[in-house]
Amino acid sequence: MDAIDITRKNIKRTGQLTNKGNIWERMLNQKELILMSIPFVAYALVFYYLPLAGWVMAFQNFKPAKGLLDQKWVGFKHFIFLFSDKTFLTVIRNTLAMSIINLALGFAFSIGFALLLNEVRQLKIKKLIQTVSYLPHFLSWIIVTGIVLDALSTETGIINQLLMYFNIIQSPINFLADPKYFWGIVGFSNVWKGTGWGSIIYLAAITAISPDLYEAASIDGANRLQKIWHITLPGIKPTIFILLIINMGNVLNAGFEVQYLLGNGLVQRVSQTIDIFVLKYGIGLTNYSLATAAGIFRSVISIILIVIANYAAKAAGEERLF
Amino acid sequence: MKKFKRVLGIVLTIALSATMAVGCGKDKASNSDGVTTKDEVKNTTTKADGPIKTFTAFIAAPGIEISEDNRMMNRIAEKIGAKADVKYLTGQTAAERIGVMIAGGEYPDFIDGSDGTSQLVEAGALIPLEDHLDNYPNLKNFYSEEEWNRLRKADGHIYYIPQFGNIQGKNVQTDHNDEAFWIQKRVLKWAGFPTIKTVDEYFDLIERYIAANPTSEDGQKNIGFEILSDDWRYFCLENPPMFLAGYPNDGAAIVDPVTLKATVYDRIPEAKIYYEKVNDLYNKGIVDPETFTLSYDQYMAKISAGRVVGMVDQYWNFRDADTALKSQNLDDRTYVPLALVLKEGTEPKYFGPPAFNTGGGMGISVSCKDVEGALKFLNDLLDPEVMTMRYWGDKDVDYFVDDNGVFYRNDEQRENFRNQDYLNKNDCPYDWFPHYDGMSADGINSIKTKEQPGEFYATLRDIDREVLDAYGHERWTDFLPQMKENSPWYPLWSARNTWTADTPYGIAWKKMDDVKHEWLPKVVMASKADFEKTWDQYMKTYESEIDYKAYEEELTAEVARRVALAKGK
Repeated sequence: MDAIDITRKNIKRTGQLTNKGNIWERMLNQKELILMSIPFVAYALVFYYLPLAGWVMAFQNFKPAKGLLDQKWVGFKHFIFLFSDKTFLTVIRNTLAMSIINLALGFAFSIGFALLLNEVRQLKIKKLIQTVSYLPHFLSWIIVTGIVLDALSTETGIINQLLMYFNIIQSPINFLADPKYFWGIVGFSNVWKGTGWGSIIYLAAITAISPDLYEAASIDGANRLQKIWHITLPGIKPTIFILLIINMGNVLNAGFEVQYLLGNGLVQRVSQTIDIFVLKYGIGLTNYSLATAAGIFRSVISIILIVIANYAAKAAGEERLF
Repeated sequence: MKKFKRVLGIVLTIALSATMAVGCGKDKASNSDGVTTKDEVKNTTTKADGPIKTFTAFIAAPGIEISEDNRMMNRIAEKIGAKADVKYLTGQTAAERIGVMIAGGEYPDFIDGSDGTSQLVEAGALIPLEDHLDNYPNLKNFYSEEEWNRLRKADGHIYYIPQFGNIQGKNVQTDHNDEAFWIQKRVLKWAGFPTIKTVDEYFDLIERYIAANPTSEDGQKNIGFEILSDDWRYFCLENPPMFLAGYPNDGAAIVDPVTLKATVYDRIPEAKIYYEKVNDLYNKGIVDPETFTLSYDQYMAKISAGRVVGMVDQYWNFRDADTALKSQNLDDRTYVPLALVLKEGTEPKYFGPPAFNTGGGMGISVSCKDVEGALKFLNDLLDPEVMTMRYWGDKDVDYFVDDNGVFYRNDEQRENFRNQDYLNKNDCPYDWFPHYDGMSADGINSIKTKEQPGEFYATLRDIDREVLDAYGHERWTDFLPQMKENSPWYPLWSARNTWTADTPYGIAWKKMDDVKHEWLPKVVMASKADFEKTWDQYMKTYESEIDYKAYEEELTAEVARRVALAKGK
């Protein structure tokens, strides 16, 4: 019996059985499908749901030498500490701000870059630009931040030298010492590293747009900009929405390395993210419970954000995740 | 709709492959940190009496990894049948790195947790050593019975072996390895070798030197004073008041020797006086304007280029830059340590006898599959012949022996041992494994080449001899008055390593880090007119955000505990 037949049969039977509501019979009828999905369900259980048991650590005073259940229970103590701590509230603000900046810049630059690249008619040049542009993605942050630190140096940094050369400033600016520049520096570091890579998905989506539409538009006398605005952008809109929803879940993951490596004492009020807080107060002081509590907080907020974004998309009549 | 599904398919495929790529990346990262899970003991080569074992080791302190084909590492391995692949700390603080390791639950065979040592002990990551020691005479004799007992934790076990400061014979230390105010040799020469005792004299000398020599002869701009404040290395910024007030490097606080009360040194008058002087220097443009945003690597690059005239630092923190200067033959840009105080009359306490540091050392982790082999490795490393191989190298290749049994090197060998590349390929002292200092077992030679009187003098460059002769000193350590003995609570900073975030003093310590990291640079960078105001704001923030009373109380209690322990209670 071939696969299509099974599916058809199942659909038919499902239709009938839903009315009767006998779930066991229904499962028996779909046993091939269930068998096929078992490995994936097991994978998800083992690697995504089982580790959630570790969340109990957040309600204990966890000491690594003892077993998970031999620990002292402390209730919501760690959560109370988190929310009464001024630093934690600051790091939430920083994380949110940098995430939103990254998200906005990331979308704008990736989509813009994909649109521009799509307009390049020379295939070889297009391929070359594409390859070169996503190379930074493969550099580790330690290298990228090294480049950024050197580029922003007051002595040898190219940015200060250029600004001085064009007489925009009279004396070098120490960008890294001033809190007001920090979020921008992080945002543009992310853009430098991620634009090329981020645009791949949009380029793929653009190739799926039917050439007929462009042809028809040309016949109607549309110019390039009009074609981008009326065909390309609406064509990749579903992709944009799906990615936006997925990324909403990552809003509290503003990153760790870039802030950790670029930050310094003078800007720590704006540079520390939740991850850095966890490393310092949780792991650095062997308080894994506090680290777990901060992790739970972040996961819960992320889930809420995803759900909200999803419903917003649904209400707007756009593509959505679930 | 169909089209959308196709797009979604592509999106998910990319997302999935990205996740997989991330996963792989993580594996590699943890391996490179020295954590190997499988085949802890790898059989690499075979020789007559069995295969050579390779142990993994992680040192939670910065260091340079030697290359795999390092000549002496393999020579020692041939002799004792084992070698160690040693990895060092990069980026994070020791406590953070060790915390991550404990969370992962996998360790290299050998581990020195540095500031994270007590976390390792508490997590049960180290195996107790005391029952094994009797089988390994070199190791057993490394410390006296009394010293071994002092290493016992509350549960009666010994978990690690302190590897430093074990003097055999007599102390022949030539270099100051700890904190001091440093000044380039060329500056002293330029000024006619003045005696520098106070911060005022020191800053004045730097100021005059920079005024007269804004650039060096190779065209680089000279930097008057550098203050490293990168993450945990900000001791260069925050602890000078302690030394200036005449206290030794207890780090966490200063302890009144009479009342035994611990006090933070951030609020003492010396602190304000010192930072006002630094502020003045900053406003004159002598302090590097980007000093507070420098990463450790950028700082090291500036020192290695020979541009930095002076700084406060621990020698071990900038040793690699010092080696780099020497291998470029920029010896006049290397440094002399100065034990400065604010007012003449205060006794400086920068240099003391090696402390028997019970707070850390080399341990063997629970992940080690071949504990006996690991202990044999440590034991064999202490063998007199192997000690010579570790610190001198191969006879007739790296050194010669004269008729009286005295080791010496010829000029070519000395040159080689100044060259970092050569050292990476040929030299393997296993510095972080237990070793003796002072004199070799033969009683004739020093353990360390540079401490051999003949070698020390022979490896000096003209500028070095000039500086030493001008001051009438024999060794670099002569520049610092030597303390007779350490206090029983020294070093107090090791007490903080056991602190956790569920204590008010643990939190106070981290808050202190945050506040000082932000405000000390602000105070230094403030305009002269604003200094007072900024300092007041700093003090206000300090007092309102940090529960420093709890911090001081806990440290005072710790001093009392340590004093009681020393009295044998």
